Amino acid sequence: MENATPALFFAGIDIGSTMSKAVVVDAQGTLRGYVVGPTGAEHRRRANKVMEDVLLKAEVTLDQVAYIISTGYGRVNVPFADKQVTELTCHAKGVASLFPEVRTAIDIGGQDAKVLKIKNGRLTDFLTNDKCAAGTGRFLEVAAETLGLGLNEMGQISLQSDTPVKINSLCTIFAQQEIISRLSEGQPLTDILAGVYIAVTTRVVKLARQLKVEPPVVFTGGVAKNSGMVKAMEIVLGIPVLVPEEPLITGALGAAILARDEAFKLVQDGDYKMHKKQLSEAYIEFTEKGR
Amino acid sequence: MVTATTKGLSRAHEVYADRGRRMRELRKAGKKIIGYICLYPPIEIITAMGMVPFRIFGDMSEPITAADQVSTTVVCPFLRSIIDLGIKGKFDFLDGAVGAHTCDIGMTTIIAWRDYIKDAPFTHLIDVPHTDHAPAVDYFEGQINFFKKHIEELAGEKLSEDKLKKACELHNKQRKLVRELYDLRKSDPPKLTSMENLEVMVSLFSLPVEEGNELLEEVIKDVKERNIKPGKKKARLMVWGPVFDNTSLYELIESAGADVVVDDTCVGTRAFWADVKAPYNLHALAQRYLVDIKCPRTYRDTQHQETERNYDKDLDSRFNYIKKAVADWHVNGVILQSVKYCDTHGYEVPNLRHYLDTLGIPSIYIEHDYSERSLAPIKTRVEAFVETLD
Repeated sequence: MENATPALFFAGIDIGSTMSKAVVVDAQGTLRGYVVGPTGAEHRRRANKVMEDVLLKAEVTLDQVAYIISTGYGRVNVPFADKQVTELTCHAKGVASLFPEVRTAIDIGGQDAKVLKIKNGRLTDFLTNDKCAAGTGRFLEVAAETLGLGLNEMGQISLQSDTPVKINSLCTIFAQQEIISRLSEGQPLTDILAGVYIAVTTRVVKLARQLKVEPPVVFTGGVAKNSGMVKAMEIVLGIPVLVPEEPLITGALGAAILARDEAFKLVQDGDYKMHKKQLSEAYIEFTEKGR
Repeated sequence: MVTATTKGLSRAHEVYADRGRRMRELRKAGKKIIGYICLYPPIEIITAMGMVPFRIFGDMSEPITAADQVSTTVVCPFLRSIIDLGIKGKFDFLDGAVGAHTCDIGMTTIIAWRDYIKDAPFTHLIDVPHTDHAPAVDYFEGQINFFKKHIEELAGEKLSEDKLKKACELHNKQRKLVRELYDLRKSDPPKLTSMENLEVMVSLFSLPVEEGNELLEEVIKDVKERNIKPGKKKARLMVWGPVFDNTSLYELIESAGADVVVDDTCVGTRAFWADVKAPYNLHALAQRYLVDIKCPRTYRDTQHQETERNYDKDLDSRFNYIKKAVADWHVNGVILQSVKYCDTHGYEVPNLRHYLDTLGIPSIYIEHDYSERSLAPIKTRVEAFVETLD
């Protein structure tokens, strides 16, 4: 019966401050393709480009996509989206689709950090840091620039240290000065780098503690791709963290799954005109499978 | 006297957009205009002396530039905005400025006024004790009497019992009408938006009490006749916190897909919920302002009168008026907002959020620096909060 499944898909687009992500899922919510690329200055063009790319990746045409949800900081700049949903709700949905038991999700992006409390797959509370570069990917970029290292390289080197130095400054600029003075003191690079990761993590965990950290904890966002960061997160939290295979796309994935839910809801309510027959079939198929 | 050409909500919109206009007209006609800061100066006395009370607000769309010379940036931006506007001559229609020691920066604002603002030559600071204890009420009565004497000097006449009684009745009538207006937001959907409501509230602080009452009567009549079709069910929110005198926050919340149906702020319920009780004397005023206004600036003893400490009971004795509003307006989420550096409200936030948790009411805390531009980053958080209530 597999061939009888109508070719119907749903997309989520996450235009973040630094990176844009797009995801296509099918009626079962299974990932069919994703792309990640830098956002740049022109959000609209970027949105079109990631959409085109993800369709190619998923081998799907635009008219097979029944519903699109945009999210992220640039979500208003996705002209072809059917609906906009905040990145907080989308991240929660995406993380919960990968780790249904998740209670706390920590997302560190290029310019912000968020902590989500999730219960039964739903966002229940959250905090964000979007005022300051401390505790975001930007902090790591500044440190990498200062030390003339690549971000990945920096993570690898830091893993060799068991005695991270203390970086006390809360402010990214002052922390940069602190890194330089530690270097001039002759502290080993490995320890300084490990200290940098502990410093960023400490800022974010401080935010997380306001909401009470409950396991399982999932760590996402571009920063979670860095091995040094994951290690630091586990040290500071004192518990293991789960990291998705592709930690950048949880927001877009959540948006795509919400797009499917939204389209199915519209079918149920009898409000959905476009692709109605196809979508209804997909919906029936899905609910029968679900049972 | 110039009579208003518009009525009801359009009149409120007009007054909101230019708060000083009516004051300038009245001053030209020989009235004395007394500006006051915060809710605690007893405006009944000003009205009874034949003067017009005018609540001084800041301006969220005006960048603070002049006040930097006279204060540092680590104090309440609302009060800094007032100083800023004053230095820029925006309160040139005032004969006096009355402050109250409701918080420390509230007090220093009057010092700054004396030192740097040339308009409103008459200034007075009312000392307001910080507890609701009986001796504090007596002390506050003395401070009100002291204020009364000062303003009698300005007026060149004595305050008569009869005029005070009449003023109390007029202001009580205003409070009763405001509560009636708030009742019109109990329905689903509410008959009045929170932006419209705020424009009316700000107008009441910018008009003589009789004109405010007339405006309220017109608005209530219009709004009652409104036929609002039920649409998609929206989240019904309460907004809590210190002064918010600008529709921008309410626009932001309502554009996120929620209705704000009630508030606990001093530009809303806090200002109008308590009446002055008969006999309308200074002691009754002291009681109304110090005890009956519910603002975190006043220390309240626990009502349960137990020697053993009980956190939950204590929270309930402090916040049960909020529980009542949540039930009466069918609120399903609370937005706690505060201007930066407001310690008075800041210390209340964790307690109140905990209390709301025990009631099963989700809440969110947002902070702004009293400028329209500082609201933009809050937008995503408010939208996400509304999404969690779906």
